[in-house]
Amino acid sequence: MRGIDFLYAVFNQFMFDANHNQLNAFEKGCAIVRWVKPTIIKMIGTDALDLLHRLTTKELLTVDVGSARRTVLTSNRGRVIDVFVVAHVIENTLLIISDSEDPARTISAIDFFTIIEDSELKDLSDSHTRISLVGPKTREIMASALGLNIDSDEVINLDYSGSQVTFSSDTSRGVSWVDVVLRSPEVGLVSALLSAGAVEADGDNFELFRISREIPGWDREYGDHANPIESGLYSLIDFDKGCYVGQEVIARLDTYDKVKRSVKVLESKLPLAKGSKLTSGSKLAGIVTSPSSLASLDGRYLSLALVRKAFCKTASVVDSQGISAVVR
Amino acid sequence: MTTMSPQYSVPINTIEITEKAASKVRQFAAEKGMEEFGLRVAVKGGGCSGLTYVLEIVDGPEDDDKLIEHHGVEVYVPKKAFVFLAGTVLDFSDGLNGKGFEFANPNAAKTCGCGTSFSV
Repeated sequence: MRGIDFLYAVFNQFMFDANHNQLNAFEKGCAIVRWVKPTIIKMIGTDALDLLHRLTTKELLTVDVGSARRTVLTSNRGRVIDVFVVAHVIENTLLIISDSEDPARTISAIDFFTIIEDSELKDLSDSHTRISLVGPKTREIMASALGLNIDSDEVINLDYSGSQVTFSSDTSRGVSWVDVVLRSPEVGLVSALLSAGAVEADGDNFELFRISREIPGWDREYGDHANPIESGLYSLIDFDKGCYVGQEVIARLDTYDKVKRSVKVLESKLPLAKGSKLTSGSKLAGIVTSPSSLASLDGRYLSLALVRKAFCKTASVVDSQGISAVVR
Repeated sequence: MTTMSPQYSVPINTIEITEKAASKVRQFAAEKGMEEFGLRVAVKGGGCSGLTYVLEIVDGPEDDDKLIEHHGVEVYVPKKAFVFLAGTVLDFSDGLNGKGFEFANPNAAKTCGCGTSFSV
């Protein structure tokens, strides 16, 4: 038995597999994801939407009351500060909903550019809860449990058991996704969704689903270390919208094809380590950004990595600390 | 509207507009039929480099504006924006490679290609 196979056999005795029920909910039903450290920011003022439009990658001026759009805030060097949904809740009031665990950083970045604008930020991250409903039956289950019919990129406010709840649909991740923001605690809302057939998912299974669907994650695929194009956020950039912070750098990267890396799914027999380098022979091939700690249902381990273009081709084999991984 | 490299010496507690820029402001105000007017100069977030210049001919200052006068034109600068503009000279260029107002801002560490935005 080769050393790596022995390691694989020993390792498998101690590792956990994905939860079939939870993964099935993500793929075929509706999974409920609770965010442990949510970033929820309220932005109020007559200039709030216009300011975010000027700062971020998506065209936001057409985000009317009752609609939402996900956008990227970049630095003037074109690096990602945060990615968030802008939900236009009521006139001159926005909710910024982000996967980031560092609301202070986002607030500070927006605050820095707020000079003469009528715009004010309030951090709701500690006082509010964020739940995401993910999966193709999300709308069906919301309709059944709550009597709500939500459209793509729509925002709905609902009084549920005396608590104000905001539902914001997000089509940017390639899966059916609705963010739910409410004042903590969540007043029986989850129970109603569970009764209608939703399944509560834990963080590890959500990570496995996210990795398998190549959905970029905060402080992993995107962050201060990467630009939005290489981070797999291309669809969140409106190249014809005009100026925003970092636009010149990002436009240049795209126009002159200067992006050197891409987000790729890797498959391996053993789990990879976050931050470990990928090599091919003596060459650096990339870096592991999101390794799943769970084996998928077919026994493979999936990871997301920022892979250099020369090694992005499907079935390319790379090495990470002695473990072989194949680019999907 | 573009940004020039600083070539003027202006006290950092003020901003200046050149005679040519002042003349253009008067011309634009006259075209708009304004008898009482001033030039509001400000900075807002946005643009490739993060901060964008704002120029507007208005009929008077707002409560929080700093008031400066040069060549017979009143310039209004919001106090919050003044920190980004102190020492700036505003000129007007009608050269072959661009026509419009130009900022020589000593606070601008970096400007974008089209010159409408800067970072500090």
